[in-house]
Amino acid sequence: MIRRGPLAVGDIAGRLPVSQPAVSQHLRVLREAGLVEAETLGRRRIYRVRPEGFEPLRAYVSAFWDEALEAFGSSFTDDEEAGE
Amino acid sequence: MIEPVVKEVRVPASPEVAFRRFTEGVGGWWPKATHSVSKEKCRAVFWPGPAGSDLYEVDEDGNRHVWGTFSVWEPPSRLALTWHPGRGSETAQTIEITFEPRGEETLVTLRHGGFEALGDTAQAARDDYDQGWSKVLAMYRSALP
Repeated sequence: MIRRGPLAVGDIAGRLPVSQPAVSQHLRVLREAGLVEAETLGRRRIYRVRPEGFEPLRAYVSAFWDEALEAFGSSFTDDEEAGE
Repeated sequence: MIEPVVKEVRVPASPEVAFRRFTEGVGGWWPKATHSVSKEKCRAVFWPGPAGSDLYEVDEDGNRHVWGTFSVWEPPSRLALTWHPGRGSETAQTIEITFEPRGEETLVTLRHGGFEALGDTAQAARDDYDQGWSKVLAMYRSALP
């Protein structure tokens, strides 16, 4: 939802079938993980996505596919029927 | 915008053979023990096609764990699919795989994007907390130095 733009907690909760405290708890976990950041404007907490927070996840995905595609490539050199 | 991960591998086979091995032959090479939801209990992996069908693993107890759904199935040149192994489809990322002839060989290119869905709190709030989001975060934390 907030990848389309920054939102306040109340606005996020208002669009979901869950309570505002539950939303706040999820946002806190996401903030601790570095995936979102928050700023206080008056009495409102505004949350936005933090793109650089996704770098470790991208690194994980990158290593995941390096390993999978290496196994795929090796299956051709290990297998004499590869060129059939 | 979070940049997609793009990977290439060149294999000594025609696009037809490479496409078949990536899909119906996936069980022969996929690193099941590490690249699966059930890890060492994973018994088989299936990428059956066509578009609209799921890709999934089956564990030793016979449980099926869906990884995503094919959205494009165009042998021997192109595949696209949603990707959410171990999580709800609301957190689905997108993967596109192309198979291009390069002389006697085939260039396979994989693009994995749509990571924003993992940070979408609207969807995360709906996930089962233990099975869904905490797994993403555990994966995320394990990637940290």
